[in-house]
Amino acid sequence: MTGALPGVAPMAVPPGAFLVVGTLLFAIGLAGALLKRNAISIFLSIELMMNAVNLLFLTYARMRGDLAGQMIVFFVIAVAAAEAAVGLAIFVALFRVRRTVDVDKIALLKW
Amino acid sequence: MPAFSGQLVVFGFASFFALAFAVLMVVQRTPVRSVLSLVVTFFGLSVLAVLLAAPFIAALQIFVYAGAILVLFLFVIMLLNLKEEAADEDDRPVQRTLGLLVALALGGLLAGATLRAPAPPRGMPSLSSIPSPDEIPALGRLLFSDYLLAFEALSLLLLVAAVGALLLSKRKFE
Repeated sequence: MTGALPGVAPMAVPPGAFLVVGTLLFAIGLAGALLKRNAISIFLSIELMMNAVNLLFLTYARMRGDLAGQMIVFFVIAVAAAEAAVGLAIFVALFRVRRTVDVDKIALLKW
Repeated sequence: MPAFSGQLVVFGFASFFALAFAVLMVVQRTPVRSVLSLVVTFFGLSVLAVLLAAPFIAALQIFVYAGAILVLFLFVIMLLNLKEEAADEDDRPVQRTLGLLVALALGGLLAGATLRAPAPPRGMPSLSSIPSPDEIPALGRLLFSDYLLAFEALSLLLLVAAVGALLLSKRKFE
């Protein structure tokens, strides 16, 4: 199989634009993860960061004409689902004990 | 190709909404509103996925992310009855500024680096022969041939995660 990819038109939007949107979303997610103090909000920001990386994967998959990038995104989404289930269960358990999900007040392992 | 195509307009709209609601998600102090803003962001990302010839991923994004994961978040937030984050006494101005600076610096660095990076080699032969990357059947064939082991491991992981989540939330803590 040669590199010729039938059925894929050249990109109408320059791929660099997708890359910039992805990195900006990643930076916004990072800002959220650093600035928020509610554990669930931090978790949400991390989800946003994962999605930003997914967008980069899709862009490179499109640029290369290779489905492996889409495959990785599929696995990232599935792992994120597992992670969300376990993470939220941990927060619920934590809330039962400490009555809070504020990460400043959950410093049991700090010292 | 026309310089100003319909795809460009769609891209502009989708990325604008994705970015604007992502910022809103971070700025928002009420967790429920954060989640709802993130739903809009994920819909925007799903539109971008369609533009990148990945309709399957776009559908998955809505079903799994907006449909399942964020609903789980909403459910937990309502279960814990989380209210607005108080703008309380120790607002930690130093950490706040530092965090913002780090995020901005990293964002600028990454944007510059990705833009300056050479384009990936086009048309490399992929792991197995794919008739047309546009097709979802090709993705399915790839999933059940080259990625079969990873796929089975993934199903095990999801099972373990489900059992673990049940165990964690059912256990009694004294």
